[in-house]
Amino acid sequence: MKRMFASAIAIAILAGCGLVENVQCQKASAASNGNNGSLKVSLPTKSGSVRFAIIGDTGSGTDKQQQVADMLVRYKEVFPFEFVLMMGDNLYGGDSAKDYDKKFEHVYKVLLDGKLKFYATLGNHDDANQRMYDHFNMNGKEYYSFKKGNAAFFSLNSNYMDKKQVDWLEDELSKSNAEWKICFFHHPPYSSGVKHGPDEQLREVVEPIFIKHGVDVVFSGHEHFYERLKPQKGISYFISGAGGKLRAGGVGRSPLSAKSFDEDMSFMLIEIIDDKMYFEVISRTGKTVDSGTIMNQHKKNAVGAAESATKHHSF
Amino acid sequence: MLLCLASLPILSSTGSGQTDQGPNAPPVLSPAEKETVKAFEKRVKEYVSLRESLERKLPSLSSEAKPEEIEAHKKAFEASVRKSRANAKPGDVFTPDIAGYIKTTIKTEFKGTDRKELRQTVLEADTKGVQVRVNYPYPETKELAQVPPTLLLKLPQLPKQVRYRFVRRHLLLVDRENGLIVDYIGNALP
Repeated sequence: MKRMFASAIAIAILAGCGLVENVQCQKASAASNGNNGSLKVSLPTKSGSVRFAIIGDTGSGTDKQQQVADMLVRYKEVFPFEFVLMMGDNLYGGDSAKDYDKKFEHVYKVLLDGKLKFYATLGNHDDANQRMYDHFNMNGKEYYSFKKGNAAFFSLNSNYMDKKQVDWLEDELSKSNAEWKICFFHHPPYSSGVKHGPDEQLREVVEPIFIKHGVDVVFSGHEHFYERLKPQKGISYFISGAGGKLRAGGVGRSPLSAKSFDEDMSFMLIEIIDDKMYFEVISRTGKTVDSGTIMNQHKKNAVGAAESATKHHSF
Repeated sequence: MLLCLASLPILSSTGSGQTDQGPNAPPVLSPAEKETVKAFEKRVKEYVSLRESLERKLPSLSSEAKPEEIEAHKKAFEASVRKSRANAKPGDVFTPDIAGYIKTTIKTEFKGTDRKELRQTVLEADTKGVQVRVNYPYPETKELAQVPPTLLLKLPQLPKQVRYRFVRRHLLLVDRENGLIVDYIGNALP
């Protein structure tokens, strides 16, 4: 009874912030999904939306990585996402042709055969030459950007954030007028992980740029679990690093954590419709372990400012 | 009068570790340090020119390459540069003056908690068994230690073809594509 009451209070607080709505707790969602073959998503699956999946730290070449991939394929049937973001550590233990085959091409063959695009970022286990690999769509660049619908994506190389990259990021973000600005890179600026924890030195450099130029969401990996952080200075942070490895019990206690899942491997499904980003996190066995909606704060603020200006002028 | 003059602060003749315009601004260099860094950058450019000229002789690698092509290119490139630099030795690029400057910069720019965080980041990577040898490849099976961006903003900037990398406390200069250790500074991390 006390737990239900506490959950209700938590949901009310989060909804009141206007940043995350409709957060569903794990138990309720698990009832509708599972190993029974009938998959459902809480995502709207609206025509014309931007739909993608997120996997991180995948390149282990293990059976469990394959199981996550198989579940991703199953979910694509009910939620036809159009591309996948990879959070780095795409290949563990080497970058030979055999490694690419065993730890990526073979694992995601069904998706690759269906011409699905993967957009990768480099992790601390990744050779820089991965940027030349056709299926990672990095176009020969260690950091790059692309647009899908009303969202602009910025892939960064957090292994080596030198001045050139910082200047590039600043320039790209300032030029972008996309409704959604989404950055993804390996090392998380915020994390409750016990092994790695937050990358504060990276945060010190990139966070001011993110804030200045209206970044909405940041996705990272490196920690082998899932975590949704409470929004930090108007930016939503997610860690999705359990696509091929798991650090069970790897999440520590932290007041910054909104939700985490370190009992099994997982991936994310995302849908962007206008000023809302819907997310759902699915475990290796097909359970929904987190879901919710993020409002685009920058659009909300801009609309608010315009309305306020209109009211002012009407005097 | 003499006592008044003695109480004036003595201006340092070197600029090591002094910065302006915020904590992540590059250090302000003294004239001697500027010369040291300029000479270092020249040696780095010479290495980059060499490796570019060797890479041009290889079949070009597309940005939509297959794994076999990437692997073949890297191996051929590594072999070509290794052969060309067969006599390379420690200190060829990181000469004592630049090594001293970099060590001092790291020491003075990172103190207290900053130094602790720097060490934590650098030493977190599993680089056990990585042999630090000039003109040898960094092993593909080993992870890369992240170079903290706060440090990268303080060190001399490098062309994209090479980068700094830590192996334990040693700071390496590594070729981005062929993975060869171009040179290193032993125990650069305080």
